[in-house]
Amino acid sequence: MIGVSQFRGLMANRQVVRTLVERDLRVRYAGSVLGWVWTVLDPLLMALIYLVVFTVIFQARRGGHQPYFLHLVTGLFLWQWFAQNMTETSRALLSEARLVRSANLPRELWVVRVVLAKGVEFVLTLPVIAAFTIFYMITGQTKLHWTIVLLPVSLVLTFLLSVGIGMILAPVTVLVNDMARVVRIVLRLGFYATPVLYSADMAPPVLQKLLLFNPMSGILELFRSGFFKGEMNILSVSSAIVLTVILLFVGSIVFKRLEPAVLKEI
Amino acid sequence: MAKPVIEVRNLGIEFYRSRRRRMSLREMVLKRQNSAPSETFWALRNISFDVARGEAVGLVGGNGSGKSTLLRMIAGVMLPDEGHAKVRGRVAPLIELTGGFLGELTARENVYLAAGLHGLTKEQIDARFDEIVDFAGPQVQAGMDMPFRHFSSGMQVRIAFALITTLDQPVVLVDEVLAVGDRAFREKCYERMENMLSGGKTLFLVSHSEHDLRRFAERGLYLASGQLKSDGPIDEVIAQYNADADADAAS
Repeated sequence: MIGVSQFRGLMANRQVVRTLVERDLRVRYAGSVLGWVWTVLDPLLMALIYLVVFTVIFQARRGGHQPYFLHLVTGLFLWQWFAQNMTETSRALLSEARLVRSANLPRELWVVRVVLAKGVEFVLTLPVIAAFTIFYMITGQTKLHWTIVLLPVSLVLTFLLSVGIGMILAPVTVLVNDMARVVRIVLRLGFYATPVLYSADMAPPVLQKLLLFNPMSGILELFRSGFFKGEMNILSVSSAIVLTVILLFVGSIVFKRLEPAVLKEI
Repeated sequence: MAKPVIEVRNLGIEFYRSRRRRMSLREMVLKRQNSAPSETFWALRNISFDVARGEAVGLVGGNGSGKSTLLRMIAGVMLPDEGHAKVRGRVAPLIELTGGFLGELTARENVYLAAGLHGLTKEQIDARFDEIVDFAGPQVQAGMDMPFRHFSSGMQVRIAFALITTLDQPVVLVDEVLAVGDRAFREKCYERMENMLSGGKTLFLVSHSEHDLRRFAERGLYLASGQLKSDGPIDEVIAQYNADADADAAS
């Protein structure tokens, strides 16, 4: 089966993946913690802005889970990882063209490596989420629910989903010039089409049905569940799992099919 | 009989004549039916040959005859549209030597990265690190912790050559890289190539230099406009290539 042989090739080269991820992180954190600060600062500032806009200016009576700031922080951090995965994987083959051309490695590796490196960055920001959670727990505004143990599952799903879509984006961007622009626009729309600022149950029933087709919606549901009441929309989560598997499968087929053409262009 | 190290069967690869890409999203997802009559040409077609272990093969042909493309497909960094090129064992590609190197990292980091990309573990690189630096020469040795882009292009190539030839892989592909480096280093390169050959490595060499070809290769392959024109002892193949070139020049 096509996905299995690709997985084997990646596992055989996990040493190389590790080297590349380490290099990415070294370049990013070259000698200082400033890299980490940037990763954290962006979503934190955005969370602050949205908090002001929705609770102070619009005076929304309820905006997603409460406390709303924790709702924003959890959503924005995870979304940032996913969004960066999309922009970076779409460039994955082009930006490393010289390496791709000179080393005979499974080409999927270039996609996986980007998602992994961004994933490590994301995991390094988890203490910030933890700090806010502890703060809100001490002030009695929230308490952890057992579903927090499902949080790693949501991270694995984000990883697999990103690899799946990345395997479509990376080769297509090589062959179609304006793909990078398309990705940017779709991401901006996707941000609002994903319950980052709001929660899915606030949407009218029709839109809730539409949200079932957005895998990030279900993944976010799973990710946030433990921080808030521990409820989750099982339908939305299962839909996300199914979509992730489908996209992973489609991605590996598209990648294999486009690979020869990509190598000629690169 | 032992299986050939390099096995090429009915190899063909097709390129677009224009740079314009005609791929549409619909075409990619569905099959490539109804694709617009875009002009393509076969850079290589119906190429078949075997190379046995320890053989040294020189590839001859004019510009644009598909030599480098063939080498890339043997190296596995380009995929054929027809047939296959199978290599038993890993390949040390002396093609685009500094391709795996990054300007912003130090030379030391680059050696670890590039060797890692070619499948060496950290321990293996540790063991061979000194050998690589020694070969690259004293000027390089002094600057191993300097950003790679601060090296002169000649020095960059030296490190890359030293690295790839130290990989100790059974098949060595060479694309015109012997022309680089100063005279002293070139002699060192020649020596190392000869050592590799006598050590039982399989060599596949692309060159326009008759001198290099005769020095290293025993067998020649002659490519002309994407076809394999002849396959025989290197002297005969070079003679045929020269005769064709002269005939072209005369007409």
